[in-house]
Amino acid sequence: MELHILEHRVRVLSLARPGLWLYTHPLIKLLFLPRRSRCKFFSLTETPEDYTLMVDEEGFKELPPSEFLQVAEATWLVLNVSSPSGAAVQAAGVTKIARSVIAPLAEHHVSVLMLSTYQTDFILVREQDLSVVIHTLAREFDIYREVGGEPVPVARDDSSNGFPRAQHGLSPTVHPIQSPQNRFCVLTLDPETLPAIATTLIDVLFYSHRFPSDLLLTSSSGELWRMVRIGGQPLGFDECGIVAQIAGPLAAADISAYYISTFNFDHALVPEDGIGSVIEVLQRRQDGLGS
Amino acid sequence: MSGTKPDILWAPHQVDRFVVCDSELSLYHVESTVNSELKAGSLRLSEDSAATLLSINSETPYMKCVAWYLSYDPECLLAVGQANGRVVLTSLGQDHNSKFRDLIGKEFVPKHARQCNTLAWNPLDSNWLAAGLDKHRADFSVLIWDICSKYTPDIVPMEKVRLSVGETETSLLVTKPLYELGQNDACLSLCWLPRDQKLLLAGMHRNLAIFDLRNTSQKMFVNTKAVQGVTVDPYFHDRVASFYEGQVAIWDLRKFEKPVLTLTEQPKPLTKVAWCPTRTGLLATLTRDSNIIRLYDMQHTPTPIGDETEPTIIERSVQPCDNYIASFAWHPTSQNRMIVVTPNRTMSDFTVFERISLAWSPITSLMWACGRHLYECAEEENDNSLEKDIATKMRLRALSRYGLDTEQVWRNHILAGNEDPQLKSLWYTLHYILFMKQYTEDMDQKSPGNKGSLVYAGIKSIVKSSLGMVESSRHNWSGLDKQSDIQNLNEERILALQLCGWIKKGTDVDVGPFLNSLVQEGEWERAAAVALFNLDIRRAIQILNEGASSGKGDLNLNVVAMALSGYTDEKNSLWREMCSTLRLQLNNPYLCVMFAFLTSEAGSYDGVLYENKVAVRDRVAFACKFLSDSQLNRYIEKLTNEMKDAGNLEGILLTGLTKDGVDLMESYVDRTGDVQTASYCMLQCMKVKSESEVAQSCPTLSDLMDCSPPASSVHGIFQGSPLDVLKDERVQYWIENYRNLLDAWRFWHKRAEFDIHRSKLDPSSKPLAQVFVSCNFCGKSISYSCSTVPHQGRGFSQYGVSGSPTKSKVTSCPGCRKPLPRCALCLINMGTPVSSCPGGSKSDEKVDLSKDKKLAQFNNWFTWCHNCRHGGHAGHMLSWFRDHAECPVSACTCKCMQLDTTGNLVPAETVQP
Repeated sequence: MELHILEHRVRVLSLARPGLWLYTHPLIKLLFLPRRSRCKFFSLTETPEDYTLMVDEEGFKELPPSEFLQVAEATWLVLNVSSPSGAAVQAAGVTKIARSVIAPLAEHHVSVLMLSTYQTDFILVREQDLSVVIHTLAREFDIYREVGGEPVPVARDDSSNGFPRAQHGLSPTVHPIQSPQNRFCVLTLDPETLPAIATTLIDVLFYSHRFPSDLLLTSSSGELWRMVRIGGQPLGFDECGIVAQIAGPLAAADISAYYISTFNFDHALVPEDGIGSVIEVLQRRQDGLGS
Repeated sequence: MSGTKPDILWAPHQVDRFVVCDSELSLYHVESTVNSELKAGSLRLSEDSAATLLSINSETPYMKCVAWYLSYDPECLLAVGQANGRVVLTSLGQDHNSKFRDLIGKEFVPKHARQCNTLAWNPLDSNWLAAGLDKHRADFSVLIWDICSKYTPDIVPMEKVRLSVGETETSLLVTKPLYELGQNDACLSLCWLPRDQKLLLAGMHRNLAIFDLRNTSQKMFVNTKAVQGVTVDPYFHDRVASFYEGQVAIWDLRKFEKPVLTLTEQPKPLTKVAWCPTRTGLLATLTRDSNIIRLYDMQHTPTPIGDETEPTIIERSVQPCDNYIASFAWHPTSQNRMIVVTPNRTMSDFTVFERISLAWSPITSLMWACGRHLYECAEEENDNSLEKDIATKMRLRALSRYGLDTEQVWRNHILAGNEDPQLKSLWYTLHYILFMKQYTEDMDQKSPGNKGSLVYAGIKSIVKSSLGMVESSRHNWSGLDKQSDIQNLNEERILALQLCGWIKKGTDVDVGPFLNSLVQEGEWERAAAVALFNLDIRRAIQILNEGASSGKGDLNLNVVAMALSGYTDEKNSLWREMCSTLRLQLNNPYLCVMFAFLTSEAGSYDGVLYENKVAVRDRVAFACKFLSDSQLNRYIEKLTNEMKDAGNLEGILLTGLTKDGVDLMESYVDRTGDVQTASYCMLQCMKVKSESEVAQSCPTLSDLMDCSPPASSVHGIFQGSPLDVLKDERVQYWIENYRNLLDAWRFWHKRAEFDIHRSKLDPSSKPLAQVFVSCNFCGKSISYSCSTVPHQGRGFSQYGVSGSPTKSKVTSCPGCRKPLPRCALCLINMGTPVSSCPGGSKSDEKVDLSKDKKLAQFNNWFTWCHNCRHGGHAGHMLSWFRDHAECPVSACTCKCMQLDTTGNLVPAETVQP
């Protein structure tokens, strides 16, 4: 397995819903005219509470500070797991990542953010934790750091000295979960078709906030997803093991999932017909810890 | 098809049909409009073709890519890849009762929806269809479907059922691919490798991968960014093109680590790259927002082998229309034909014009190739212009050993066919120069002087050197009043007259012998004129009478003699008046100038000097006799320039073999193309040089290289020493061209003769030894000379017995004293002389003893097969392979002789008449 440390240095921001109007212009620029801003990493998640933005530093420059914008302190690096060319027969995806990346990082007290997309899963770690990450994962992965678009192998550091933090068990805090009734559809889009649907997307994002039903042009495979929201209180960025306590049990039960971290809460998307068993599995986790 | 950009495809079998696809599929039929009017509703494609719309299919929305079924089908079966990853089979046929009825409408559905980037039908199993999809987290991106698969999973997933509501026939859905490849990766382009049904080349996210379906866990891959548009050269199955942004990479699958070459980068990103299916090694590329298609011709680079050899590629571009081109397609069978479509769906059908390559044959014919056609243009045999052609002449002259007679140089003009007066003059001049050279040098040894060096520099230099040295004094000659104009013949003038051939060597100024030789050759008019110019009118009349009576000459010579005898000194006589007007009616220039001379005013001989039909040497000799120093100098100067401009070889007499002579020869070669004469002539100057140098001192190579003249030499007043002349790049160019020409005629022996001739005259032209035989044990060259003088050109004979300068044992290596290998036939160590050829019929060859001797030397040479490494004495090998095809070593089955490509060629001169 290969672990790629991507070039992007990502900032995580929260935009309060009332402030959206102020950021319409930079957001449209980042969304539809990526060449204008040289922004290479951009994610926008709308939740009932706020908009969470994950953008690299080029993109961050586009966003003027204001009272609506809340910026997390740390700079995050993006990790991406890819199966090595040549032996792509093993199961990959979030299940594999849960066991091989999320759990070890949680054990070594590294706080992570997850961002699942249709194509792949991104793991965001704080820049200051990078040495720990490399040390922790070097045993199982060939680690490459991307420089100028080309992967450069990272030398494995064998010395365990200077290891900053002691190992801890999983976080004892069990965060409550909620599952709203909304059904979600996960899509992928060819970048070339983006201009064709730009007006619709702008309308949905900034004005009507309702997704038109006839836009599902690539949904013919028909998978629908339900969401599980993790956290009663805003989770913050320091606590580790949150992703692990959700992804772990799901992986154990072999349930595929998308996992999306936002500024305040974490969200897992699970197959619609599996929602019952997911709730059950996650409840059991609570019970298991409680007993 | 993304957005508004249409794509275009030719039908693989019904070659008059093509499909344009953007949001819908439109089938067109192409018709020729050469003999008919444009039909209503047809679209003009080119001057002589038009397209008619046959049908439109808009049943498949969200098209991303289209591929035409490769087996023959009358229905136009197409596979369409959609934006959701589904692959749909559809048709543009009108007849739905075909064998493909079941297939049409069939859909192949991936587990997770994402864009289908590319489709490729298997060329060997027509039912196999590969689809390349975008990345999904855990899913495969390369799916290979069997279109005849009836398999539908028993338990259709719930969401599938829900979404396929409205699909009446669920059996049309296929969800189980034959093969799944490329997990957790994206596939951007695909093509099947024609080598095997189960080999698939895919451009993945970051690499090119070859999947082997016989073992799907194995794949060969190379990391590269050039992953788009992979396509196999239809004529060279190991050659593949792919691209990234503006750069095309060409790969050799046998050496897959890196591209064998990359084409020059285009400023705009490429959109399509396609090999021409009708011509080898022709690649067409198209970039975004461009109205030209760039063509790369890799004709001459079929197998890139070495790393260092940078293959040459000819780049061209065609502009089929003014608008931007959205896409193009090569016609599958019609040569170099292509159709292009623009974003607004106008189409244009055209043929890429083939490059014409043209070659002159060295024997008067012209060949040119255009596409698959080869044209030869040869002159008709019975046309005598063929004989006049310089190439024919040079060939014949080469066969008759023209230029190689170094003893009697003048004879070369006879070898040349004795028909060209200029060549005759040239070789006589060279003859006289060499002759005089020899003579003056002999004289010089007795009395110091350096006239010898003057000789090769021509009369112009001789005349110049005498300028101002001698004041003229009048001789009193009897018989003619012209005696007042006879100049005192100083040494230089005598030398000039000698070069002109009027007088023989020595101080004897008698023209008698010359006249006799002219009379013998039947040149009565010329002899008479020369006699007259020597003021011997009686002799002239006598010669004319002789000519008239001999029967071979013109009978009118008697009349001329009569007229001549009426000569009178009287200025205003009737004779003088009549002669000066009537002489112009005489056909023979010599008769004409005789009267011009007699009727001219004293001191003005323009009628003689500028009569162009009179040989230059006679005019010059005349001038030497009758013009004063300054007049002579002016006249020679003027004549020299005239000769140089005209490229008249008679002028060599004036210029000699100097830079001036090279200039003259240059205009001669420009006029005639006769590099043969130029080469041989200019080589003669080295003969002059080397002989004179030998006479003066023993030259060393460094002396020859040092062009500064010796202090006593008169080289300074001429333009360059002989070596300078020979090293003139024009001269070297002629020589090299002549050698190439001989090679092209397959006159290899003639070329070798020329090279020997050349190296005799110009030792610096000897090539250095390029091949050495090295010892198996110590690795040193076995050539004896090599230890002392490395890389000095030494003949091969030195490897053998005869050439060994030291008396060391010849059968052992001079470096390590180990024995040399044994000859495979006689089993004796190499280095020993060859015994008489076993079984050879040498008795009939013993005609020419010297030739036989040379042959015997060659028989001692080493020779061996480069394949099996067996060999031995050249003579033995030659006689062995006369009767055998296989190697003489008993266990070896190597067909050595057949591997030798030049072994079976026959030099052309042996088959010449």
